[in-house]
Amino acid sequence: HRRLPAVIPTPPVSASPFPNPKSQYCCLSRNFSAALTPLLPVQLPSRMETHLWYVVPDEVKSAPLLSKYMELLPQSERDHVLGFRGDQLQKSALLARTLVRTTIARYQVDGHLDPRSLRFKRNIHGKPEVEWETKDGFCPPPLQFNISHTSSLVACGVTMNSLIGIDVEEKRRRTKNNILAFAKRYFTAHEVEHLNAIPDSELQQQEFIKLWTLKEAYVKALGKGFSSSPFNTFTIRVNTAAQESFCLPLNQASSGIAVETLDSPQNLTNNWQFALLELMGSHYVAICLERQETGGAGKAFPIKLTARKTIPSVEDELVSGTNAVVTIGGSVTQF
Amino acid sequence: MASITRASVSMPSLSTSVNQSQRRISVMNSVSFPVSGRSMIPSLRLQRGLQVCCAAKQETVDKVVAIVKKQLALPADAAVTGESKFAALGADSLDTVEIVMGLEEEFDITVEEESAQSITTVQEAADMIEKLVEK
Repeated sequence: HRRLPAVIPTPPVSASPFPNPKSQYCCLSRNFSAALTPLLPVQLPSRMETHLWYVVPDEVKSAPLLSKYMELLPQSERDHVLGFRGDQLQKSALLARTLVRTTIARYQVDGHLDPRSLRFKRNIHGKPEVEWETKDGFCPPPLQFNISHTSSLVACGVTMNSLIGIDVEEKRRRTKNNILAFAKRYFTAHEVEHLNAIPDSELQQQEFIKLWTLKEAYVKALGKGFSSSPFNTFTIRVNTAAQESFCLPLNQASSGIAVETLDSPQNLTNNWQFALLELMGSHYVAICLERQETGGAGKAFPIKLTARKTIPSVEDELVSGTNAVVTIGGSVTQF
Repeated sequence: MASITRASVSMPSLSTSVNQSQRRISVMNSVSFPVSGRSMIPSLRLQRGLQVCCAAKQETVDKVVAIVKKQLALPADAAVTGESKFAALGADSLDTVEIVMGLEEEFDITVEEESAQSITTVQEAADMIEKLVEK
């Protein structure tokens, strides 16, 4: 194995084609193979905040960089990555592991900044968690995270305390099966009605994907495995400020999204809040969070979201509040 | 006679996965061998280490492979076998549910969501189908 070179504290690589004379390597804009810059440390999210980090695999083209990412992983995770069929799947699997390790490392819990030193385990239902070292006097932070990836986007959500589930999907993802047939089989009657009421098939396809990601995010937040919450046992409901209705498409930023479980149909399950985002105009990102505190009259505070696009150890870009991240559902303030 | 016919199908691939062995056990329980121990067909007597069980027919596996290749848009000559894992082939959760839906239609069965979650390979899907088809 090639040894990972010592991290050289060079400034972040810019688009300049001129080699940095101090560096051992030639920095050639983004297709470089220079030493990794140190991970920029970040403050842990406050109790009310959610951090969203994402990587666009198509922007990570450097084979040497990908090799360096591979070296951050323990052997078991490398084997897992290599078990995927084909370069593209291996790359997104690698980036998913890299993103979660480097992201958590940035928070420098207990002074740690080395992504390689993190250990992960699964809870009894299979949900991944950090396995913090049990040292005297060290109280692990209640850091929660969840990852989701497609071939074109890898995302990781982080909170303090709140259980979190996140799901990403390409906007233009098409099901092989007919949407209504699929929804009748796997969704609830209310959701089928919601989809059925949309006359335009393109919009209907997009609504389906939005519903799918929200449902996935909820089950992932619960962390008990998909078989404990089959999709036809809970309904995702959309409310606007004016009225509660299933019939409106999920396009209004002021709309609230809630989940209603079929075993308690009269009570909206207030424990969970949702955000639905459109990322880079190409992807939907659904986030489901355990509700920590409510405002007056049981109303939840909006989700405080900070979103960053990253190429780990290369560059980070704060994108919340830009048109890279558009809130299309749920109550969200972006920072 | 039907039960004995089932038991004559070829042996499953050896697998250490817990799910596989649980399924083997449950299928064996449902096969009715004579209680006295004297099987009508002595060659099917179960021996330690040589588990005769009801692995899915090749035809079933082939149909599952076809459905998987179609869902994941894999080329017709892609190497997909019983041991192939859906996730390793690139199936995400939506693909997996669509594959299960395709299997339900192809074989005229209903797969409970709990069962659907537990199938991760082509072989597991084929085994589950055979169990459901026989019901």
